[in-house]
Amino acid sequence: MSTPEAQPISALLDAETVQSIADQVWPSLVGDGEVFVPVPVAPPAEVVSAWVDIIGPWRGSVVVTCAPATAQALTESVLMARPPTVVDDEDVADALGELANVLGGNIKSVLPGESKLGLPQLGSAPSRGRLDDVCALAGQWRGNFLTITVQGAAPAPHAERNEVPL
Amino acid sequence: MRALVIDDSRAMRRIVGTILKDFGYEVREAGDGRQALDVLEEGYQPDLCCIDWNMPVMDGLQFVMAVRANPAYRQVTLMMVTTESEMGQIVKALAAGAHEYLIKPFTADALRDKLALLGLLPEDVTA
Repeated sequence: MSTPEAQPISALLDAETVQSIADQVWPSLVGDGEVFVPVPVAPPAEVVSAWVDIIGPWRGSVVVTCAPATAQALTESVLMARPPTVVDDEDVADALGELANVLGGNIKSVLPGESKLGLPQLGSAPSRGRLDDVCALAGQWRGNFLTITVQGAAPAPHAERNEVPL
Repeated sequence: MRALVIDDSRAMRRIVGTILKDFGYEVREAGDGRQALDVLEEGYQPDLCCIDWNMPVMDGLQFVMAVRANPAYRQVTLMMVTTESEMGQIVKALAAGAHEYLIKPFTADALRDKLALLGLLPEDVTA
């Protein structure tokens, strides 16, 4: 969070709101008839995340996490790619990033105050901040593990003291 | 009709472009506002620009202002297609010169309705 007085995300947003946003995003972006089901499944051994940062009265990230194979399938669905069309790593980064972007933009719109949305990023999810500054929605898409996490930014590490004796 | 789809996401460019092509549009793409201005400066004359807001290099709002500042592009219809859904942002885009605003996520029907409102839906497409 940006300031000590800022409210944690758990006071601003609930999982039902995130689910309602996902309910709009999935059929229009992922494809007709596609749904994000809020029933958790076991996480895979390897995951990839895409996220966008929200910078405003509340600071944090909206993170989408899934297995690489799920990200590939999501991309094929978003791009309506059919064999023999093959999606490449750049397509996967782009499509998963756009999913995080659309989710993040809609989540930003329900937060109080004016905020800015960062550009999508892909990789290992950013570190979380306070334990109560998280709204996580664990679920699945086509039976595969997928989570949407709205998490506060980790506090900046304290600058190391480097006092020079006078 | 011609459209220029401006979005840093290839996936979103492909989605918007596919819908527009289904409506009979000839479509070109640009990955940010600067690239889009380059396309216009080459002489491409779109009837419609679909513009994302958050993009690197030059964002959608800056692109709208740049286009509106140039009388040569007066005939181009500008439609924001973005996740920025707060009323303040919508007002800002319309004040800068955008004609319409479509919030992501959207459906093909929603895009068709916006085109119909703008008078940019080809006659052979059912409104």
